[in-house]
Formats: sequence, C-alpha cells, structure tokens
Amino acid sequence: MNTNSNTYTVIYTTLICVLVAAILAIVSQVLKPKQDANEKAETISQILTAAGFDDKAHWQEIGNAATIDFYKTNLAEAYTVNAQGAQVQNLDKDKAEILSVSELKVQNRNIKNGEDFEIPVYTFNNGTSVIPIYGAGLWGPVWGYISFDAGLDNIQGAYFDHESETPGLGGKIKDDPAFRAQFKGKTVDFADVKAFQIVKGGAPADKRNAIDAITGATMTSKGLDEAINNWLGAFKTYLQGRIEARAAEVAALAAAAEAEAAAENANQTAE
Amino acid sequence: MNQKMKETILNPILKGNPITVLVLGICSSLAVTVEMKGALVMALSVTLVTGLSSLICSLLRKTIPNRVRIIIQLVVVALMVILVDQLLKSFEGTYPIDKQLSVYIGLIITNCIVMGRIEAFALGNKPIPSLLDGLANGVGYGLILVIVAFFRELLGSGTLFGIPVLAKLGYVNNGLMILPPMALILIGCIIWVQRSIQKDLQEK
Repeated sequence: MNTNSNTYTVIYTTLICVLVAAILAIVSQVLKPKQDANEKAETISQILTAAGFDDKAHWQEIGNAATIDFYKTNLAEAYTVNAQGAQVQNLDKDKAEILSVSELKVQNRNIKNGEDFEIPVYTFNNGTSVIPIYGAGLWGPVWGYISFDAGLDNIQGAYFDHESETPGLGGKIKDDPAFRAQFKGKTVDFADVKAFQIVKGGAPADKRNAIDAITGATMTSKGLDEAINNWLGAFKTYLQGRIEARAAEVAALAAAAEAEAAAENANQTAE
Repeated sequence: MNQKMKETILNPILKGNPITVLVLGICSSLAVTVEMKGALVMALSVTLVTGLSSLICSLLRKTIPNRVRIIIQLVVVALMVILVDQLLKSFEGTYPIDKQLSVYIGLIITNCIVMGRIEAFALGNKPIPSLLDGLANGVGYGLILVIVAFFRELLGSGTLFGIPVLAKLGYVNNGLMILPPMALILIGCIIWVQRSIQKDLQEK
C-alpha cells in the first residue's frame, strides 16, 4: 500500500484526529464531576483563608471533605446582591453553594458593561463577611477574596489567585504571605478618589486604604488594583447600606443604654 | 536482557542525558524545580508521556504517511499530555500540584525531548525498545529535575517536600535560589561535574 498518496494521507489524518477527539471527549466527560468537586473545594478554601480562619496549607492538609464541612458549620449565610445592594438570591448553605471562578468572570463582564449583576457575599458566624473580586492581571485573569470584620470598616484578610502571572513577580499576589498580610487592618474609603489603592513605590504610612505594590510586577499590581476597585464599586451600595445599618444599630444600643442610665439617675434623685 | 537493550535504557540517563548532554527541555527544568514535589510530579508526567507516545508512534510507524508524520506525532503527544493533565486535575492529592505546575504540564507537548525521541528512535524501532527508550529519557530528564529541585528547595526555602530541614539550624533562606536564573546555574554545575567525570563528552 502506498502510504504517501494524497488519499491515504487525508483519510489517515482524519481518522486519527476523530479518534483522538473521541477519546478526549469521553475522558473529559468522565472526569468532569471530580474536577469540579476539586475546584469547588479549592474556591471554598480560598474563601476560608481570606476570612482568616487558617492558612491555605491547612485546608489542603485536612482535605476537601473536611474543608467543606468546616465551611458549612461556620457559614452564617451566603447570598448574592445586585447593584442596588439588595439581596437577590440565597446560596444553599447545606450544599455549600458558591459562585465558581467562571461565574465570577461572567459577573465581571456584567459589571464592566454596566449591566445587571449578581455578586456573592459570604457571611460567617463570627461576623466576618467575605466578598470576591475578579479582573485582568498581566497574562491572564486574577481573582480573590477580601474579608471584612463585623463593622465592615476593617479589612480582616485577603487571598488572591491567578491563572498565569509570572512566578516570583506577579505570582506574589498569591505566593507571598507578606503581600496579603498588608491588607489586614486596612479599610475601604468610598469618599477617596479610589476606594482602595495599591501604590507603586510604597503607600503613605498614614493612609488607611492603601498598600504597597509588588516590585517588578507593575502590571499585575495595577490589574489587581483595578479588579478590587471595580468590584468594590459594584458592592458600594450594599456595603454602605450595611455600614449604615450597623451604625444605626450601635446608635440605638447606645441610646438605650443612655435612657437606662438616665432612668436610674431619676430613680436615685427621687429617693 | 541483551547489551543493546541495556544501552537503550542507560544511555539517556547517563551519557546521553536529555538535559545535560542534549540540552533539551531546559525551559521547564528552570520553571518547575522550585520544590521537590512539583519536580517529582513533572518528572513522572514527562516519563509517562515520552514512554507512551514513543510506544504508540512506534506501533503506528509503518502506517504513518511520511509527509504528515510530524503532525501525527504531535497529535499523539498532545493526546497523552492532555490525558495526564486531566488525570492530575481529578485527584484530590494531585490537584494542588497540577494548579502549581499550571501551564508547564500543558507545555510538555512542546518539550523537545518527547518529539525528539519519537523522530529519532521510535519511528525506526520496534515498540518495546521504543517504550523503554521513551521511559529512560523521561527518567534522565526527571533525575536532573529532582537534583536541581533538591538544592533549590533546600537552600531557597530551607525545606524538603515542604518539611522544614534547615530552619532549625538557623539557616537564612537564599532568595536567589527560588528565582529561575539559579536553576540555570545549577544545571551548569551539573553539566560541569558530569563532563569532568565522563571525559569523552569533552570537545577536543
């Protein structure tokens, strides 16, 4: 048989390609549920790390099942909010329902195009709230989670991940604990030009809504800055609503305490 | 096992090592040798891919049309690499490592060792020797990877397989070890050592 004829070549190549495509399609279908489960556990471990429960390595150590269990036990509620800051949809706690990275990508497009969006908030029993961010780094997408304490005025922690930033440079947003540690104790200031800033050349020490950028990773730092601000912008109404509600609550408590004290004073005077 | 078989297996590991003698697959050996764990998984992946692709291409060698042989080889190699990547992603234990190796698993496709061995060996030899040749080349590549990773992790992070070793002795981590240039220097040192032992590798 002449293996160099055109007909043979075309038929042979076609057959090989169809065969290989079929094998890959089957394998992909069979392994998809397992891969999705792994990805979900990874996302949950990132949320938990951002919330400050433990190191990222800890979740890897205890495994997927234990991580998801921990999440379920400690979660108060998870829901999505829209541009008006209203809760749109509850995420099922018993199924540990979360928005995957690909779903964040869709919402990111909606935010950028000024369309309706539904972005998730994860609140925990200890008062911590975690919100996601998503944007473009230098080579590919960057995303992550930022957590706030009960009063929402202090950032408690953050965790970031990326698809293909340069290891040792832009990759530091994920790999360098010192970069992430900068977020702790910072705040978000919607009155400022930018709600949160990652400053090249070092943030002023007295500025509470700014941190240092990464040396040698200007574009990744810029991308992360933009991602954080885009998403904070999207969460603005929701966050401000909660801060006001919280302030009102605190004021009400203070007023009640004052009234009580006054009543006690009056009692003492009467006596 | 006859003499020829033995040579097929030993040659790629010592005298004809793909990294130190043929200087192939340098890119990935710089990128994935920061930690032992990653290097080991990468070494195993490459060994599997080179072995199996060589086997399949050797089985097909009489039917492959000569004009499109590179494309057919590429399809076979790509199939193997995607299978390895998908499998790594599916298991709880290997998922974080796959995430860490990220693009480099996919880039095994472009690793010159794989295509080089198919083109140079598998297309002209029977399946079993081709399989052995592929596996041996993978091992030769992996060996260098693991040696480099050993020094980089030990001196760069003070750990081995993530377990602290030097930290207790008051060792201060050398940041240069973590960066890719140090891998190149280390590989250079390995080549130097190998060439001073095996004198016949030196050019006249």
